Amino acid sequence: MKISNALVLILVLLYISASTEWPTHTVCKEDNLEIYYKSCDPRQDFAFSIDRCSDIATHTFNIRAAILLRHSIKELYAKLNLIINGKTVLTYSETLCEPGLSKLIFCGKKKGEHLYYEGPVTLGIKEIPQGDYVVSAELTNEDHDTVACAYVTVKNYLDDY
Amino acid sequence: MPRRRALPLWTLVVLLQLVGCLLSPCLEVIPDKAFRCMGLNITGVPSEVPNTTQNLDLSFSNIRSLRANYFASVPELQLLDLTRCHLQTVEDNSFNGLHKLSTLILTGNPFQDLGPAAFYGLTSLKKLVLVENDITSLNDLPIGHLHTLQELNVGHNNIASLKLPKYFSNLTSLRHLNVFSNKITYISRGDLDVLKEVNRLNLTLVLSLNSIQCIEPGSFAKIHLRELVLRSSFENFHVMRSSLQGLTGLQVNRLIVGEFSDRQRLVDFQSGLLSGLCQVRMQEFVLISFRGFDNNTDTLFNCIGNVSSIRLVDLQLREISKVPMFSQVKQLECKKCKFKEVPARKLSLFKDLRSLRIIKSKNLNSFRETFVDLRNLELLDLSENRLSFSLCCSPKFHNCPNLKHLNLSFNADISVTGDFTNVKNLLYLDFQHTKLVGPGSYPVFLSLQKLIYLDISHTRTHVKSQCTFCGLNSLRVLKMAGNSFENNKLANNFKNLSHLHTLDISGCKLVHVDRSTFDALSELKELNISNNKLLSFDPVVYKPLQALTALDFSNNQLSVLLDSALDTLPDSLVLLDISQNLFDCSCVYKNFLKWIKEKQELLQNKESMICHTPTYVKNVTLSSFDLSSCQLNVGTVASSVTMLLAAVVFLFLIYKYYFQLYYSLVLLSGCKHSAERGDTYDAFVIHSSKDQEWVMKELVEPLEGGTPPFHLCLYYRDFLPGVPVVTNIIQEGFLSSRNVIAVISTDFLESKWCSFEFDIAQSWQLVEGKTGIIMIVLEEVNKALLRQRLGLSRYLRRNTYLEWKNKEISRHIFWRQLTGVLLEGKNWNHEQVKLM
Repeated sequence: MKISNALVLILVLLYISASTEWPTHTVCKEDNLEIYYKSCDPRQDFAFSIDRCSDIATHTFNIRAAILLRHSIKELYAKLNLIINGKTVLTYSETLCEPGLSKLIFCGKKKGEHLYYEGPVTLGIKEIPQGDYVVSAELTNEDHDTVACAYVTVKNYLDDY
Repeated sequence: MPRRRALPLWTLVVLLQLVGCLLSPCLEVIPDKAFRCMGLNITGVPSEVPNTTQNLDLSFSNIRSLRANYFASVPELQLLDLTRCHLQTVEDNSFNGLHKLSTLILTGNPFQDLGPAAFYGLTSLKKLVLVENDITSLNDLPIGHLHTLQELNVGHNNIASLKLPKYFSNLTSLRHLNVFSNKITYISRGDLDVLKEVNRLNLTLVLSLNSIQCIEPGSFAKIHLRELVLRSSFENFHVMRSSLQGLTGLQVNRLIVGEFSDRQRLVDFQSGLLSGLCQVRMQEFVLISFRGFDNNTDTLFNCIGNVSSIRLVDLQLREISKVPMFSQVKQLECKKCKFKEVPARKLSLFKDLRSLRIIKSKNLNSFRETFVDLRNLELLDLSENRLSFSLCCSPKFHNCPNLKHLNLSFNADISVTGDFTNVKNLLYLDFQHTKLVGPGSYPVFLSLQKLIYLDISHTRTHVKSQCTFCGLNSLRVLKMAGNSFENNKLANNFKNLSHLHTLDISGCKLVHVDRSTFDALSELKELNISNNKLLSFDPVVYKPLQALTALDFSNNQLSVLLDSALDTLPDSLVLLDISQNLFDCSCVYKNFLKWIKEKQELLQNKESMICHTPTYVKNVTLSSFDLSSCQLNVGTVASSVTMLLAAVVFLFLIYKYYFQLYYSLVLLSGCKHSAERGDTYDAFVIHSSKDQEWVMKELVEPLEGGTPPFHLCLYYRDFLPGVPVVTNIIQEGFLSSRNVIAVISTDFLESKWCSFEFDIAQSWQLVEGKTGIIMIVLEEVNKALLRQRLGLSRYLRRNTYLEWKNKEISRHIFWRQLTGVLLEGKNWNHEQVKLM
C-alpha cells in the first residue's frame, strides 16, 4: 500500500508542472476515513504519509514526512488550527525543537538540508472527531519563517464509536 | 528501507521547484552589503550585485557549474551561500580572489567533479559546510591548503572511514569537525593519528548518527579533544559497550553519549555499558536521551565517579544509582529524569558536590529526605519540577554550611517555616511561581541576614504582616511580582531594606502607596511597579528614591505626571516606562506633553503611550501629539477679549447711569401718561430737605394761603408712600405740575437728589416744552460753586431767575414776579374767578 501511495504521489507530482497551487495529496482513502493534504507554502510541496490509517484511532501511529528545508530549524514550532465550516474552533501549538535541548534528530538542521521524519506521533486525543473538517498546520522557526504549511482535509464517518 | 523510497520523491519535488521558479530579482537585505538571490537561473553573479557585497545568498539557484574566477566581481565577500545550486562541477580557482571569504556553504550539491584547486584563493576561510554532497571519502576533498579553516561540516554524506587524511595536519586552526550521519562503521587504530601530531586541545568531533560497529582500542589513545559527541552512533548495546572501551586513552573535556528521543536503538541500560569510560580522562560527561533504566543501573557511576561534572539529560532514570566511594563529582545535573522523590540521601554521598541541579522532572513531587554533610555544596537547583512539601527549609539540610544558592522556583507548593538556621548563609533564594504558605503572614526570613536576592514572584503571597521582610538586612534584589498586599495598599513593608537595589512589585493589584513606603530605599536603582491600579504618581512617595535609574510605571491608571512629579524624578534616571496608562491629553497638561517630547530618550515603549481622553485624540500616541493644537488662535483671543471688555464697559455704564437710565425709562412711560394726568399742582418745588423750613414759611404759606391760592407739590407732603422715589418725582412732581420751582441753595447744590431732579426738570422742559423752571436763588449761594457743580450758571445765564433777599422791597418784587409766572396758563375754575 505504501508503494501505491508513493506511486500516486509521483503521478500527481508529474501531473502538475508549473502551476502555482500545489496539488492535493491523498494520505488515506478507506471506507469511512479520508485524509487529504495540500501544501500552503507557496514555495514548495512536501511528502507525508501515515503507515496504517486505521492506527490513527489508536493512541500513537507512525508517520513519514519529508521536506527540503528552506530555512534553518534551530527552533521549530508547530501550530495546528481545527477549522470547521471556515471557522477556527480549536488551536493547538507545540514546541518541537528548542535551543539547548535537541531531543529530536532533525533539530538544528540548516537551510537546504533534507528533513525526513519517520516515527511515532501522539495526538493526545481519544478519537478522531467525526465529520468534514480542515486542519491547518504550520511549522515555523526561530525567525518566524514558515518551514512548512499544509491544509489537511479530513472526512471521517466512522460509525462504530 | 523507507528512506530510500522517499528520495526519488524528493528529487522530483526539487525538480518541480526549479521548473516553477521564475527569474526573480535579488533582494537587498542590507544596502550594498547583503543580497539574497534565491532560486535564480543564472550563469554568473547577478549584475545587480555590487562589488561591495559582503553576504551573498544564491541558494536554490540553478548554477550547475562554477568556472574559474566566477566570483571576481564580488571581492569583498565574507559569506557565500550556494545551498542546492545543482553544482556538479567546480573548476579550479572558482573562488579565486575571495580573500575575505570566511563562510562557504555548499549544502546539497551533488558534486561530481571537484577540481584539485577548487578552493584556491580562500585565504581567510573559517567555515566550510559540505552537508549532503554525496562525499564518499575525506581524501577526495581538496581542502588541505585551508590553514585558516576552523569548522568543517561534512554531515549527511557517504563517508565510510574516519581515516583522517594527511592534509589535516595542515588544518592547524580546525576546532570543529562534524561527521554526523555518515556511513562510518569502523574506527581503526591510526585513523586519528594525524590529530596527535598537532596540539588539538580545542577540537570538537561529532560522530552522531553513524552506525559504528567497532572502535578499535587505541584509536583514541593519546588524543586530546575538547568535545566528542556520540549520539545514536551505535547499533546496539553490545556494540556500544565494546566501542566505548575502544576510547581508552582519550583525554576529552566533554564527552556526550546517548541518543535522540526519536531515534532509540538501544533497548535497555545494562550493567557495564559505560565501563569503557574508566580509561577515559574527562572533565564533563553528558548522558542524553536514554530509555529503559529499569534494572542494572548500579554501574552508572562506576567509571564516571571521578568526572568533575555529570549531566544526565532526558533519561528514564527513576532512582539514583549506587554512588561510588570517594567520588569527585563536583557538578551534577539531572534534567528531565523520572525521580519521584528528591534523592537527597543518596546524593549526599557525592561528598565533593558543589552544584546540584534536578530540574524539569515532571514526576518529581516529594522532598522528604535530608541532604547531609555536603560541606562544599553551594548551589542547589530544584526548579521546574512538581515539588510539594512542607517544613522548608532548615530541616532539609544538615551540615551544608556553604549553601548559597537555593532555587525552588516553578514547583507546586511549599510551606515555608521561619526556620533557616541550617542554611543561614544563603545568598540567593528563588521561589518564583511556586505556591508558598508562610511568607506574608509572619516574618519567616528573620534569620537570612546575608541574603541578597529573593524572588517570591507569583507565589500567591498575601502580605499582611508589616514585618514580612524583617531580617533581610542585606537584601539587594526583591522580586515579588504577581502577589498581593493587605487592602491593596503598600504601607511600611520595606522599612528595613535599606540596601535594596532592585524592587519588583508589578502586578500586585496595588491601589495606593503610602507616603512613607519608600523612605528607607535611598539606594534603590530599579523599581518596577507596573501592572497595578495606581491612579497617581505622588511626588512625596517617590521623593526618597534619589538613586533610581530605571522606573517602570507602565499599565497603571495614571492620567498625567504633574509638574511636581516631574521635578521629583531623579537626575540619575535612565529608563522610564509609563506606557499603557490612561493619559489625559487635554491642553491643560501642556507641560507634561511638552516634557514627553523632550524626554524621548528616557522613555520606553513610546508606541504604547496613548491618549485616553479627551475623545477626539483617543489612541493618538503621546509622542505624536500635536502640541500646536493647544496654542490659542490670535483672532479668537482678540475677539473674546473685545467682547469681554465691551461687556464690562456696558455693565459699568449701566451701573454708573443707573438713575439716568431708569429716569429715561420712566420718562418714556411718563410721556404716554402725561396727557391723561391733569395739572393737579401749580408747581413742583425742588428743594433740599435742609431748606424745608424756608420753603414752608416763605413759599408754601404765602402761596397756598394767598389769593389766588396756588397748589404746590412738596415731596414730603404729596409723594405717595409705597412708590419708588423716582416714580414719585416723575409722576407726582413733573407730570402733575405746570411749573417747577427750584430753590437753589448751597444745600441744593450738594444734594444728589436735587441735582437729579433739576436735570430731569431740564430734560422735561426740553421734551415737553411745557413746564417752565422757576429758579429761586437764595442769597447766600456761592455762584462759583454753583457754576462748577451743576453747570447751572449756563442755565442761569440763559434764563431769568428770581433772587431771594431778606429786604422787604425785594420780597415784594419777588412775590410779584413769582405769582406772575405761576398765574400764566392756570385754568381758573369759576369759583376761583369769583374770588378774584
